[in-house]
Amino acid sequence: MKFLIFSDIEDSAKQVMSFLKGKGDFVLYTTEKGESLTKYGAQKIVLLTGKPEVKGISSLLSDEFSSGGYDLVMIASTVLGRDVASLFSGQKSIEVIPEIFDIKFNSGTVTTKRYGLGGKAVIEEESKSKLFTFLSGLSDDVPGDGSSPIETKNIPEGVVKILAIEQKKAKEVNLEKANIIVAVGRGLGKIEGIQQIEPLVKAVRGELAGSRPVCLDYHWLSEDRQVGYSGRTVKPKAYVALGISGQIQHIAGMRGSKVVVAVNKDKNAPIFQEADYGIVGDLYQIVPKIVSYL
Amino acid sequence: MPYDIVVLIKQIPDLELIKVNQSTEEPITDGVPFKFENLSKNSVEAAVRIKEKNGGKITAVLFGNEKGTQVMKEAYAMGVDEGILITGYSENNPVLTAKVLAQKIKQLHYDLVILGNQSADSMSGMVAGLVATELNLPLLSNAVSIEVADKIVKVSTATEKDVIKSETTMPAVISVTQETNEPRFPPVLQIIKAGKKSISTEQSTVKIENTSKIISKKAPKSERKRLIFEDVDKGAQEVAKVLKEAMK
Ligand SMILES: Cc1cc2nc3c(=O)[nH]c(=O)nc-3n(C[C@H](O)[C@H](O)[C@H](O)COP(=O)(O)OP(=O)(O)OC[C@H]3O[C@@H](n4cnc5c(N)ncnc54)[C@H](O)[C@@H]3O)c2cc1C
Ligand SMILES: Nc1ncnc2c1ncn2[C@@H]1O[C@H](COP(=O)(O)O)[C@@H](O)[C@H]1O
Repeated sequence: MKFLIFSDIEDSAKQVMSFLKGKGDFVLYTTEKGESLTKYGAQKIVLLTGKPEVKGISSLLSDEFSSGGYDLVMIASTVLGRDVASLFSGQKSIEVIPEIFDIKFNSGTVTTKRYGLGGKAVIEEESKSKLFTFLSGLSDDVPGDGSSPIETKNIPEGVVKILAIEQKKAKEVNLEKANIIVAVGRGLGKIEGIQQIEPLVKAVRGELAGSRPVCLDYHWLSEDRQVGYSGRTVKPKAYVALGISGQIQHIAGMRGSKVVVAVNKDKNAPIFQEADYGIVGDLYQIVPKIVSYL
Repeated sequence: MPYDIVVLIKQIPDLELIKVNQSTEEPITDGVPFKFENLSKNSVEAAVRIKEKNGGKITAVLFGNEKGTQVMKEAYAMGVDEGILITGYSENNPVLTAKVLAQKIKQLHYDLVILGNQSADSMSGMVAGLVATELNLPLLSNAVSIEVADKIVKVSTATEKDVIKSETTMPAVISVTQETNEPRFPPVLQIIKAGKKSISTEQSTVKIENTSKIISKKAPKSERKRLIFEDVDKGAQEVAKVLKEAMK
């Protein structure tokens, strides 16, 4: 079996290559230069240069798919990846199974798992589909010692004109490796509140994370600290959720945590259904108390 | 310059009200009321803001079932001018959904098609690209901001790493994110008025071959202890113990 992979994110590229190791041959198409990508056993790495216009990328991939003898296409579920996948699906009339977090290869069919009903259901399905988008957290990152050759290809220009690309701040944290994560939600109320959470983070030698509104809407924390369905998937030994209501899209990112602690002033907050230990009350009052007992 | 806009809106079951059948472990959706899908609301808001500034007409298209009239009324109250409800939606299937929606859109006059980047229930994120392909239109996706002038539309897209500014000439398909705007709550009077407005309803005729079959659809397992403390002091002590253990 031969896989065509596209990922514009290094972590996801590494995860999917780790996952596919031993299951077939694969070629990675990526916009990421990372030299470290060569250690995962890809037949080759095709570095896509030029402006990341999604139609251009999907046309390029769709030509490669036709000429390269590929069986299946795996595309990282990122902002660009989802568009590339949907355009590819449309162009090639290949049905796509989106947002999978598990896949098994049978003879002629695949069995995949994804979330439905906003995370309230896990849909397991069997299909003949050849195209998938996969969530971050598909697999652990297990580098090998190979060294894949790198080739470059230029992304063709499309009808959409890219005017400017501004780099966001470099990633400052690797939540996937954290032992303990202290996550804050909208219940924090204000950015200054972070200072009152930091003593707890320090005391447990943990990492700070947040819900989507805290990272994307209010920018109280950097975006790479967002946990959840469209953020990071984490599995720490302990996950402490402070002022997070526990919407399913958040839970989807931290469900694998070993122990979950929740602090929320609303006794009926759904996060308590997903917690091992919960405290009902004001986080500003409770956090210093926890620190004092550590 | 006025712009005619088609917004694609979806109805979804109220996810918070879904319970789990303890013996089959399946989520129960029967009897759960429908609501306006989150990103669809952001899409309507984006369209209404363009209309308020430039004029034009907003047509909303919803592929769902008869209950969709409720959502459509809410869309009217937010500022949509005309609503088309296509019935016959069953399971989430982005390819089918895009075909149904595109077939209808082709019969309408529009400068822009606006929809959500990823809907809150199925989260497929596929409809935007599929609709753009069906209509053979440029796609500007995951917009966090939209500007229109002289039949040109510019958006900023926030990817995981960059902020990309791009533009294209209309007509075009635009997908929006949660961060694009804060959808308005229409005043009660507007909702009452909207209730009297007619919605044109038709049955979908598009059929496609389904290549996948669902083996199971169960609630994710949660085996959490759920020890909830209302005594803050006792809770803090217990939590400190747990955290010390995890630090080892
Ligand atoms: C396609 C899609 C993808 C998404 N992806 C993600 C994702 O990756 N990650 C994510 O987090 N969300 C995601 N969301 C958003 C998600 O649906 C919720 O909107 C979000 O998780 C809510 O964040 P919150 O819990 O911080 O805020 P809220 O839901 O507003 O909850 C705040 C909580 O704080 C409590 N509180 C208030 N004050 C205090 C206090 N002083 N002390 C203690 N408790 C207090 C309140 O009782 C409340 O429960 C996504 C949504 C969609 C549609
Ligand atoms: N059945 C539908 N009817 C109308 N619009 C839809 C439908 N399904 C999806 N959409 C639109 O497409 C967006 C993204 O959905 P999806 O690609 O399925 O995640 C939604 O936010 C809606 O704007």
